[in-house]
Amino acid sequence: MAEQHAVDGKQPTYGLIAQYDDVTSLVHACEKVKNAGYSKWDSYSPFPVHGIDPAMGIKPTKLPLLVFAMGITGTCVAILMQWWMNAHDYQFIISGKPMWSVPANIPVAFELTVLFAALTAIFSTLARNALPRFHHPLFQSERFARATDDKFFIGIEAKDGLFSAEQTRALLESTGAVAVDTIADDSKVNHKLPKPIVWFIAISFVAGFIPLGFIAKAWVSTNPAPRIHPNPNMDFQPKFKAQTANPHFDDGRAMRPDIEGTVAQGALRGDAAFERGLDASENWLSGYPTQVEISDATMNRGEERFNIYCQPCHGAAGYGDGPVARRMVLLQEPKWVAPTSLNQGYLRTMPEGKLFNTITHGVRNMNGYGHMIPPADRWAIIMYIRALQESQLSGGSN
Amino acid sequence: MSSAAKTLDANDSRLTPFEGGGKLFTVGLVLGVIGLGGAAGVGATQGDHWVGFFHSYLVAFCYFLAIALGGLFFVTLQHLTRAGWSVTVRRIAELMAGALPWLGVLSLPIVIPTVMGNHALYEWADATIRANDHILHHKEPYLNNTFFLVRMVVFFGFWSLLARFFLKNSTAQDTSGDAALTSKQERVAPVSMLLFALTISYGAIDLIMSLMPHWFSTIIGVYYFAGAVMSSMATIILISKYLQSKGKLKGIITVEHYHDLGKLMFAFTFFWAYIAFSQFMLIWYANMPEGTMFYAPRQEGQWVTFSVLLLFGHFIIPFIGVMSRHAKRKTGILAFWAVWLLGAHYLDMFYMIKPTLIAIHGMAPGQLHLSLTDPLCWIGMLGFFVAAVGSGMKKHRLVPVKDPRLSEALAFENY
Amino acid sequence: MTASVANIDIDNTGVDPRARDSLVLGDQDLHSVTEMVCGIPEQERIHRNWWIAFTLAASLMGLFFANIAYLFWEGTGIWGNNNPVGWGWPIVNFVFWVGIGHAGTLISAILFLLRQKWRMSIARFAEAMTVFAVVCALVFPGIHIGRPWLPYWMFPLPNQMQMWPNFRSPLLWDVFAVGTYGTVSALFWYYGMIPDLATLRDRSKTKLRKFLYGAFSMGWTGSARHWHRYERTYLILAALATPLVLSVHSVVSFDFAVAQLPGWHTTIFPPYFVAGAIFSGFAMVVTLAVPVRHFFGLKKLITLRHLENMNMIILATGTMVGYAYSMEFFIAWYGASEYEGFAFVNRAFGPYAWAYWTMVSCNVISPQLFWFKKIRTTPVLMVIVCIFVNIGMWFERFVITVTSLHRDFLPSSWGYFTPTIFDMMLFLGSFGLFSTLFLLFLRWIPVVAIAEVKATMPQAHMHHEDEHHSEDTDGAATHG
Repeated sequence: MAEQHAVDGKQPTYGLIAQYDDVTSLVHACEKVKNAGYSKWDSYSPFPVHGIDPAMGIKPTKLPLLVFAMGITGTCVAILMQWWMNAHDYQFIISGKPMWSVPANIPVAFELTVLFAALTAIFSTLARNALPRFHHPLFQSERFARATDDKFFIGIEAKDGLFSAEQTRALLESTGAVAVDTIADDSKVNHKLPKPIVWFIAISFVAGFIPLGFIAKAWVSTNPAPRIHPNPNMDFQPKFKAQTANPHFDDGRAMRPDIEGTVAQGALRGDAAFERGLDASENWLSGYPTQVEISDATMNRGEERFNIYCQPCHGAAGYGDGPVARRMVLLQEPKWVAPTSLNQGYLRTMPEGKLFNTITHGVRNMNGYGHMIPPADRWAIIMYIRALQESQLSGGSN
Repeated sequence: MSSAAKTLDANDSRLTPFEGGGKLFTVGLVLGVIGLGGAAGVGATQGDHWVGFFHSYLVAFCYFLAIALGGLFFVTLQHLTRAGWSVTVRRIAELMAGALPWLGVLSLPIVIPTVMGNHALYEWADATIRANDHILHHKEPYLNNTFFLVRMVVFFGFWSLLARFFLKNSTAQDTSGDAALTSKQERVAPVSMLLFALTISYGAIDLIMSLMPHWFSTIIGVYYFAGAVMSSMATIILISKYLQSKGKLKGIITVEHYHDLGKLMFAFTFFWAYIAFSQFMLIWYANMPEGTMFYAPRQEGQWVTFSVLLLFGHFIIPFIGVMSRHAKRKTGILAFWAVWLLGAHYLDMFYMIKPTLIAIHGMAPGQLHLSLTDPLCWIGMLGFFVAAVGSGMKKHRLVPVKDPRLSEALAFENY
Repeated sequence: MTASVANIDIDNTGVDPRARDSLVLGDQDLHSVTEMVCGIPEQERIHRNWWIAFTLAASLMGLFFANIAYLFWEGTGIWGNNNPVGWGWPIVNFVFWVGIGHAGTLISAILFLLRQKWRMSIARFAEAMTVFAVVCALVFPGIHIGRPWLPYWMFPLPNQMQMWPNFRSPLLWDVFAVGTYGTVSALFWYYGMIPDLATLRDRSKTKLRKFLYGAFSMGWTGSARHWHRYERTYLILAALATPLVLSVHSVVSFDFAVAQLPGWHTTIFPPYFVAGAIFSGFAMVVTLAVPVRHFFGLKKLITLRHLENMNMIILATGTMVGYAYSMEFFIAWYGASEYEGFAFVNRAFGPYAWAYWTMVSCNVISPQLFWFKKIRTTPVLMVIVCIFVNIGMWFERFVITVTSLHRDFLPSSWGYFTPTIFDMMLFLGSFGLFSTLFLLFLRWIPVVAIAEVKATMPQAHMHHEDEHHSEDTDGAATHG
């Protein structure tokens, strides 16, 4: 059992320390202490002494395994995070890359691996060393202050089963120690932080939650008041926005209705025949409006425009086998509807005005091209379509 | 703790020339002839105008060239940094570099047909193809037959001369003990290192990058270099183990040296992965055809599996395997990983070179196009490499026994 | 000054292969090293020179913060960034400072793994330089985002739009890389300091010092069991910091290399940027080491040998940068892409030729002066070369960024970038921030890693009966 003598009748003993002035005697002394069977003891030096681990019987730490495990955890966290955030929860399409782009995820995965591993290494070492520990009985000794300068020490705790004031002292003296001192155990004495500091830390810690509280409250609540603009930017612009009031007008609205009879530029659909393909009795026009010149020039223009706008789907000869259509077949697109072949009977007899309407507004799965092709070009295309239909009817020789 | 300055006796049986080197020389030559001869035989019957044979030959050639160049790099580096720890293993690296003149001769089956315009390997070697291809026409000042010959002569000449310089001075010191020889090698090291960097880079450009002459990558030299250092470290480990199993170098090459060689092998496994990833990711990201043309054939069919095999086999698995202190200090485990990485290095060379068969020579995509020429060429090259190193082992002491820093190498301890 | 031995330069740069020159000079023992290094923070009144330097630095720092305030008020329009040169000085400054930071980690971590004893006396202030350089670097991306009240959008935090950052962007990889690097470097630096802070604690004369040094040294006692774990952790951190430093500047290079711009999209960027970072970082270390060792009496610890070794690394990495330039140039021609070829011709002979040739002469030519032993062992001369190196490295980032942007694919988009006075004041001011932090470090924290240096001295080695005592301090390797 440990003998703990009261020193000065007041405090129990913490242990004995022995001072050495050089590395060699320290290491030899450590071997002797280890061989004597002590377990609650340690040596102290201003720098790590090579060779002291085997002399003291210090076993290699298991820290590397923990660091490795946490590093791998970091890798997994990073990959999972990136997958979930960019490929699952809110999918981003970035330059056509796959949603889950593993090559792009590697840098962040690597960084988090290192971060997790490094933080683990530092904090677990501090924890295993039981640091920070601001008070230690050894700090009472003035002599011990040289442990971080140029002297070396061995300290054997009184708590060790083999400790005895006389025998342990004798052992240490026999190892060639320059001095052997008794250290009192003053851990029972109140060595707490000064009150003001404790209060300061406690208050700061609690106060740290206040901004978080505000944020949390804002998160879950709504507020009718307008937002605060720390930097106004262009948030308040001297203009009237839609749905706001404007006192300068009788009706008080900022949005003004169109003046009676206003037509936007280019929107005048004056000529029903030319602009909409309708004849005088609002039926589909057969033939061409008067503005359309029946000539080679119009036909050539129609051919050129057909090859630009229509050929991709309908094909060069109008059979619905254009490159887009063929690619959709190749990709086996499930929702693809084949473009209509223009050479079918009902399309040969369909009035030109209805064709015009189809080009303008689209039909079934085809979009309208009215916004892209001016009316004159639409009529030219129709002229060319007629020529195509004619040519396919007579075996393509016309 | 520092011990007394240890020295070794110049006639210590552990470091005198290895008699078995003679046998290695003979066996190596026979293996070399059988391997390459057999491959040539197979190649002649494949009916593809030797295209398949040449690619297999190039894979095996680049494999062993990397190891020899890695050895030369190691020697130059140790002199450049005035290192002490490596003295006991440096002679082995010097002997590995001694294979460079042999590789110069072995380069002839590649160089001569190319210079004469045969485009079984290099498309650009044929003047007609160059004239008809706008891009190759632009590159003609560099990718032409004469300049290629000149460059090959310069590269192999420089490498052989440098290897010989180091070996000669190092072995001369075995008998004279003259410290000035060390100073001489140290003075040569810096410029040699610069020239080494340039020659290995342009060597990689010429031998590997120009296989796909429309493609380019500024990092190809560094890539080849990374694989070279990694595999040469593995080779030094294996040669040391072999010699120690024959009773040599016991107690001279210690667990501390293996630990350091293991650390370098580990570091360059990682460095290779870093360079390989840089090259891949940047090309993948910008997605431009002039870059992606390289990876396109490597992402089809069987090559997908092969790429995954390369990633795991060349990086992930050995990285975890060699990481621990324990693995590097148990020489059996370290030797296992050295063999593993040498296997991975073959996968790397295969990956870099063989898909040219698909991209340039029109063979079926998505296939690995394995052929008997692959193992036969490798066995043949191995034979000649073993012969080169073996003959060196028979002629020279296995350790620079009078190197002024030998005592440091014998006494150092790792963290 | 508190140096107990005359602060003069002793030449320990010998190259005789039979012996290694000492790294700790002048018959030091453990106590004298403690005195030499601790003497600086323990001074009651610091020398007037420090105050002069500090005033200058603090003024520049004030200029820095004033400009940042104006930037936040007015917006990023006060800069010279325009179309097409959307990236200007801010990113150049960012890369510049991050690059400088890398040398500290290299000295601490990589040279440690390579068992280079000479790193011991410079590691501490090199790591401090890293931490402060990273702080300066982080300011620039922080202030340049246009709406600086929204920086939290860079992090994967839940927000009201239920959106997440774009992990496919190298700019976001930067956030993680530089963030990790800053955290790990700061922790590595602080962790290394704990034993030395304990030394200061045990020597403290005033209660305040004892309290502060005591708090920050965590109660360190020098216990061998603690040292054991400490050493292992240090080794692990060094092994982690090494790939980390490679990765950080590689990620920074990805900012450019993933783009399709000629002059940017080249696969060699990652290792080339890392080599360049180490190059500029070491130049900064030398620039700082020379005055520090002079004014603080540390010439026996930071010797000519240390400086020479650093200069040789500068020469080596400068040559690597030159290699990368030549490879880029060759492949720009070889690649047969007219855009790539034009980009390089434009760099050398276009509107920014002045910047290009400044870069080449400072980066490729000036470090070659270190082939001459006289230059690499004379403090004043090496500082001049190193300042040119840093100028050159700043210009390298400038040339890469601006020349590729100002002449990209469409000639109708071509333009020219001119920095504004605010660009310049912010850059100048960042030196103020860096210097202020560094001067504070010099004043209060041990500049040299005392415990590590002691571990390399003969007094740290056990003696056997048959050993002949030598001046060897970095012969048979021991840890440290």
